[in-house]
Amino acid sequence: MNLLTDSILVLLILASFLLLSSSRLSNCIKTVALQGMMVGVLPLAANDSLTCRVTAIALVIAGMKGIVFPYMLFRTLRESTTIKELKPYVGYTASMFAGVVSLVASFWLDSRLHLPVAASSRLVVPVAFSMMLTGIFLIVGRRTAVNQVIGYLVMENGIYTFGLAIVRDVPLLVELGVLMDMFMAVFVMGIAIYRINREFDHIDSDQLNTLKG
Amino acid sequence: MQIDGGLIILLLILLPAIFSGVCQMLRAPLQVLRFCIAGVVLVSIPGLVAVFQVFRKGPLFAAGNWLMLDILSAYHLLIMMMVFTISALFAVGYFREEIDMKEFTIKHARRYGSLWFGALAAMMLVLVSNNLGVMWVGIEATTLITAFLICIHVTPGALEAMWKYLMMCSVGVAAAFTGILLTAASTVPVGIHPTEALLWTNIMNSVSSMDPVLVKAAFIFIVVGYGTKAGLAPMHNWLPDAHSQAPSPVSAIFSGFLLNAALYCILRFLPIVEAVTGNSGWGRDILILFGLLSIVVAAIFIIGQRDVKRMLAYSSVEHIGLIALGVGLGGLGTFAALFHMFNHSLCKSLAFCCAGRVGQAYGSNDMRKTTDILRSMPVLGGGLIGGILALIGVAPFAIFLSEFIILKTAIDSSRYWIAGIYLTGLAVVFVGALRHAIAMAWKPPEEMAPDAPAKICLADAALVVIPLIILLILGLWMPKLLAEFILKASIVLGALS
Amino acid sequence: MMDVAHYMGVPLGLCMAPLLLGIINRTKAFFAGRNGSPLFQAYYDIWKLLRKDAVYSRTTTWIFRSAPVVGLGSVMIAMILVPVAGSSLFAFTGDLIFFAYCLGLMRFATVIAALDTGSSFEGMGASREVHFSTLAEPALLLGLAALAKLSGSFSLTGMFGGLSGSDWLASGPAIALIAFAVFVVFLAENARIPVDDPNTHLELTMIHEVMILDYSGPDLGIVLYAAALKLWVLGALIVNILICAADLSGFSGLIVFAGGMFILAVLVGIVESIMARLSLLKVPQLLVGAGAMSVLALILVMRFTS
Repeated sequence: MNLLTDSILVLLILASFLLLSSSRLSNCIKTVALQGMMVGVLPLAANDSLTCRVTAIALVIAGMKGIVFPYMLFRTLRESTTIKELKPYVGYTASMFAGVVSLVASFWLDSRLHLPVAASSRLVVPVAFSMMLTGIFLIVGRRTAVNQVIGYLVMENGIYTFGLAIVRDVPLLVELGVLMDMFMAVFVMGIAIYRINREFDHIDSDQLNTLKG
Repeated sequence: MQIDGGLIILLLILLPAIFSGVCQMLRAPLQVLRFCIAGVVLVSIPGLVAVFQVFRKGPLFAAGNWLMLDILSAYHLLIMMMVFTISALFAVGYFREEIDMKEFTIKHARRYGSLWFGALAAMMLVLVSNNLGVMWVGIEATTLITAFLICIHVTPGALEAMWKYLMMCSVGVAAAFTGILLTAASTVPVGIHPTEALLWTNIMNSVSSMDPVLVKAAFIFIVVGYGTKAGLAPMHNWLPDAHSQAPSPVSAIFSGFLLNAALYCILRFLPIVEAVTGNSGWGRDILILFGLLSIVVAAIFIIGQRDVKRMLAYSSVEHIGLIALGVGLGGLGTFAALFHMFNHSLCKSLAFCCAGRVGQAYGSNDMRKTTDILRSMPVLGGGLIGGILALIGVAPFAIFLSEFIILKTAIDSSRYWIAGIYLTGLAVVFVGALRHAIAMAWKPPEEMAPDAPAKICLADAALVVIPLIILLILGLWMPKLLAEFILKASIVLGALS
Repeated sequence: MMDVAHYMGVPLGLCMAPLLLGIINRTKAFFAGRNGSPLFQAYYDIWKLLRKDAVYSRTTTWIFRSAPVVGLGSVMIAMILVPVAGSSLFAFTGDLIFFAYCLGLMRFATVIAALDTGSSFEGMGASREVHFSTLAEPALLLGLAALAKLSGSFSLTGMFGGLSGSDWLASGPAIALIAFAVFVVFLAENARIPVDDPNTHLELTMIHEVMILDYSGPDLGIVLYAAALKLWVLGALIVNILICAADLSGFSGLIVFAGGMFILAVLVGIVESIMARLSLLKVPQLLVGAGAMSVLALILVMRFTS
């Protein structure tokens, strides 16, 4: 068991819990930045033999997830008047319970699946599952658009970690394509939030409910 | 004549991407719209050459096997070119009024043109990529590009639709990526070099030694993930919003090909999972389940629908479900499903474009207000009513034929439950939509109907009539060439081999 | 020599528990730039209270009068179970649950005594106390369960005795999580900031203090002393987790342990100085968070020892 990897993984989970429990959007962005940064450097901790390529990709991803995306989100936040998630669909304490349940579910799922894990720690896959579930939960359970984007990022972090665990070598081109798409996604969502904010005077996506049936 | 396959494929992706940039340099809105037509024709030329090559000589490869055009993707390419052509032709008429009213300025037009060609390039990437990862990148790119097409005009409704579309499809497509990772993981024992592990052709060559459990898990993620984007129930929530809020030429692309592109990705995985599970029909059963669910859900929502574009959108859910069902049934069903895909795309793009024009004239998409359209707008109204009739499967339009073959497949394989649910769903859709269509066609208007748009020219009439005639002909007589084409494509999907 | 040290744990606690309060207060005073009350202030207070007469409200019954003694008794029993420097007076399999229930009994006595007064404020405090405890208790028990799984023993003594430096290397994150979770429980159960403010005088925001408003004289002295003992007992758990008692025994172990308690008290003082009290709505979140950490630790431990 690799102490450094495991510590990072535990911190990833703690970051998820922090996201589930905090209402201030700027704190959420900072947390997700931290989480992204840790996810980014995870391959450096997990790999025994560091190649130049792995290091470079890891640093690029850490930079994107830890600096670029949060920066774009912060810029979006500055444009808007909303600084706090006031009334989430699911309360914060209940969210944390949901986090615990999803954590247990992830470990259970992992024990059932018997995935061929390529990474050094057995923790990676369940942690990845729990991040994916947390991300989806944030998207569904929060009203503000920024928090939903954060949920998307957490989910992406989970998927990236998952890929790290089970695929030894994703082709460089695909990896860059995925990263590019993520960048675009956050960018597009940022613009969308900006427009929603201008049109509705706030970024609560629960006001977006006129289209039904 | 020796044609370099790789060059053609690269051309297919690069041309739309270049055109997308060119749109930013044009000076008048109408110019942009005309450029769209020219562009799509220009792309069609290498497209048709490539399709012909594939049909005659087999798959084309490019970029070290990372790009591939086989008969299945060639068939989709054909449908895509058709849908984009219809969209481009209709866009001129659709936006002309808005141009006159200064609502569609050069700024809007440039954005529209760039995104429109961007969407074309992204979907092309989906079709020609042999690498499942690159295919995913293409699908995600279509989501991001088309999101802004929905809100060319920034209205609250359009923003809401765009946000739902963005969030749901991003999450869904992210789930699909998990499925791709699982697929990649299942190729580990095979011993393909990691950089080539995601190539579809490589996977197909080594299915025997892959882990069935992993591949099954991957397929579930793929179906749920890409299914979100394809509009399979119960992941279809974004679809009616996006389709109804987007400008009609965009709705036509959405319904006519965006959904098919996502479904295409699922279809790519089907032969893999079928081969790995020893042709037990496990993957097909999942498609049947989602297909039936989509038909039933769509049927329920069509009955009480008021907005004509939403009704058409739900009809898309139904037809995508139908295609999934047909492929799920296998055998002749696959053939019918692919045939149906063509019919649906043609008919739905026509119906959406006509509905958009009608809605423009009446100032509303509410079916209670847009009545008596056959009298006030004979051409476009006729196109809309004809399109709806064809869509709900009135004989002898081609959709009736393909739906009938699917039913026959279900009964031949003595799956009566499936046939029963399928028939019930179709009947409900038939009655529900027909009721709306009759009211729209002949019910006397409560208020004064607007004058027909002044500029109904011969081109418009031709645009409406030609697709309907094609559908009619295909319903009565299937050309040998097309039958052979579809047959070859369904063999890729593991049917009729 | 070994034998004497073996029996020294409980007397050490009985003598030094009020000192912890003094250390916490001095730390807070230091951060606030004051001189602060003397280190032994708690002893003076308790001694002063014990010499006074008690005043009882006419609405109270024997429940109210017996509660302080029940509380003191149960916390003392809990104290016997907690090992100091690797050995406790008494240990049996499953005593960690007994330990938790001793603390539960103490809380129960306090709560029904508060309800017995019939005062609305005390009822409110009781309700909050119970609410928070229901969230804190799982965190504590799950954390202890994780430790039990890790060390393979179901008694507190065996558990902490079985913990060694190598465990830290093997499953450091899990132990750190447990320590943190127990620390949060420790703060909550002892009514410290950020859960409750021991110095507040605003009944509306109080939890523990409001429940004992009606006590006076020797009863209040006993309550204060019992609270100090509870601080010591729960603190001892944390110190035991952190210093790996197995490696130290005898008098050197006692000294290290006392030093650990001293550092813990300073830490509490620092926490109280730099943090504000959380709003009542946020407290459950904190406790559920602690519970989540315990669950995580338990899961980690179960995966790596199975």
